Amino acid sequence: MLEADVEADRREFTVRAALRVAPGERLALFGPSGAGKTTLLEVLAGLVAPRRGRVVLAGRVLTSTERPVRAVPPWQRRVGLLRQDPGLFPHLSVRRNLTYAPAADASAGELAELAEVLGLRSLLSAMPARLSGGQAHRVAIGRLLLAHCDALLLDEPYAGLDASLRRMLTGLVVRLVTERQIPAVLVAHELADAQAFADRLVIIDRGALLQDGAPDEVVLRPSSRRVAELVGYLGFVPVRAPGSGGQAPAGAAGIVAGVHPDRVTDGAHPDRGIVLAGIVAGGRPAGATWEADLLIGPAQITVRLADRPAAGAGELVVTALDPPCFGPDGLAVRLADPGPGPGPGPGPGRAWPVQASA
Amino acid sequence: MSLVGAAVIWLALLGPVITLLTQLSWHAIVSSLSAPGAFDPLIVSLEAGGVTLVVLLLAATPLSWKLARGTLPFPRFWEAGILASLLLPPLVVGLLLVFMVGPFTPIGEAIGHLHLSGTNTFFALVIAEIYESAPYYVLGAQAAFGSVPDSLEQQAALLGDRPSRVFRRVTLPLAAPGLAMALAVAWARAMGAFGAVIIIAYHPFGLPLQIWTSLQETGLASALPFALVLLVVALPLPLAAYIWSARARGRRRG
Repeated sequence: MLEADVEADRREFTVRAALRVAPGERLALFGPSGAGKTTLLEVLAGLVAPRRGRVVLAGRVLTSTERPVRAVPPWQRRVGLLRQDPGLFPHLSVRRNLTYAPAADASAGELAELAEVLGLRSLLSAMPARLSGGQAHRVAIGRLLLAHCDALLLDEPYAGLDASLRRMLTGLVVRLVTERQIPAVLVAHELADAQAFADRLVIIDRGALLQDGAPDEVVLRPSSRRVAELVGYLGFVPVRAPGSGGQAPAGAAGIVAGVHPDRVTDGAHPDRGIVLAGIVAGGRPAGATWEADLLIGPAQITVRLADRPAAGAGELVVTALDPPCFGPDGLAVRLADPGPGPGPGPGPGRAWPVQASA
Repeated sequence: MSLVGAAVIWLALLGPVITLLTQLSWHAIVSSLSAPGAFDPLIVSLEAGGVTLVVLLLAATPLSWKLARGTLPFPRFWEAGILASLLLPPLVVGLLLVFMVGPFTPIGEAIGHLHLSGTNTFFALVIAEIYESAPYYVLGAQAAFGSVPDSLEQQAALLGDRPSRVFRRVTLPLAAPGLAMALAVAWARAMGAFGAVIIIAYHPFGLPLQIWTSLQETGLASALPFALVLLVVALPLPLAAYIWSARARGRRRG
């Protein structure tokens, strides 16, 4: 178990975070660049001293600013840190890099086994300069595992590697973390990377933890408009209850629905979400889909559709599937009793209580 | 720049060495070097140079490391001090050393209590050579340590190495080629030290002073063989350091 409750000063803001990561659990910290993610990892690793707080790993108090004050130095923490630069020692062979940690000395059998798993057997006598980016990262992972660290911290380790290599290395780390039952924390500014790795996702912005939940739940049910923006909601449309004749009912004033470009389907499906009609203002191919900008009154949203809308179609009708709604204060609001259906929305067969206001 | 242009400048820089080799005659070498005591200054220079290197290694290496890591308060201030000592002409250093460690100064008297003297002794020669070579070593060593990424030192620490072990296993091996070059430059400066030496350590006579007195007493022809000796003694270490550091870099490239 890795437990942290810390405050660390950065130039523009203070990072405040309380985290608990169970053995074998994989937590991803997701947030924009400069949100304080790396600072938080460095506090856990003992490279940065927190202004206030406490870090406990597997029952050992590593940091405590309250009595009894503790600041275990990095070399006694048994916390492994993997960064984007694999940080191999250029003057040592792959074998000596792998067995660098003092704790790795007596583990020749383990080295052979791990080299096999990581696909490094034929590279053991190579120098790091000869390795490809993916190979260097595998050596760096192996080196941390042979060091028998009690926690694994990954600071955007695969930024700059291509997608298939990233998927392979992520899978490898997930397997090894599960096998060894150590807590792991990944920092990422790409949502897909964070989701591929983690079984729990934490959103961080300007030093504050905004939401903590399952990787899909955080994206489908953002707790605030800011979280929604961070996880990829590109448009927010004002909504009102139907049948109120254009007059917003009490309690629904200033409410917006978040539209995620990937959570949109063609046509009107009032039972599945909010039906939106807008004018196509622009479009471009996005991977295998077509990305279109829709103007809905004063609001603009971006949607990704399976098919490119016919030229000159003018108005396009789409349905934002089960969209999260946010009040004027930016916090998520629930507009109707969810009813007996599955999931947080009204469920299939029930009409959404709100529609886009023109 | 064309290849020819580069070759011309390279040859011009090597001009003095080429001239030395063409001007020497066997006869002059034999007659100069066979005189009684002809090699005594060489021994003196080697001994003083060796002691200088040891002192630099032990005293100036930690300073260079701290300068490179920027752990000293007001790092610019410290660097400016090193630069000032580098920019001081050796002759001026010699003059000032007389006032600093000469027999009638507080430091000179303190040295006197140890039965040493800061002028015209082997000890004085070492002091002069240290002052002439130390800035070159400190700046070279600082660059060598500065070339070691601190992310590697951090990684070594996280893997379980205490700072002294990190220094021994990561910092030192990675800085070693650059340190060797800095040491070689310091050695060449110490061997050729003249300006400060002629003022505070005319005796005991090292190689540069032997060249100077031969020139004054018997003329150019008899000074040249000693110039050759100085070159032969001063060059191998820098050359070896250069070859070794080039090889170490090659090994890292795999």
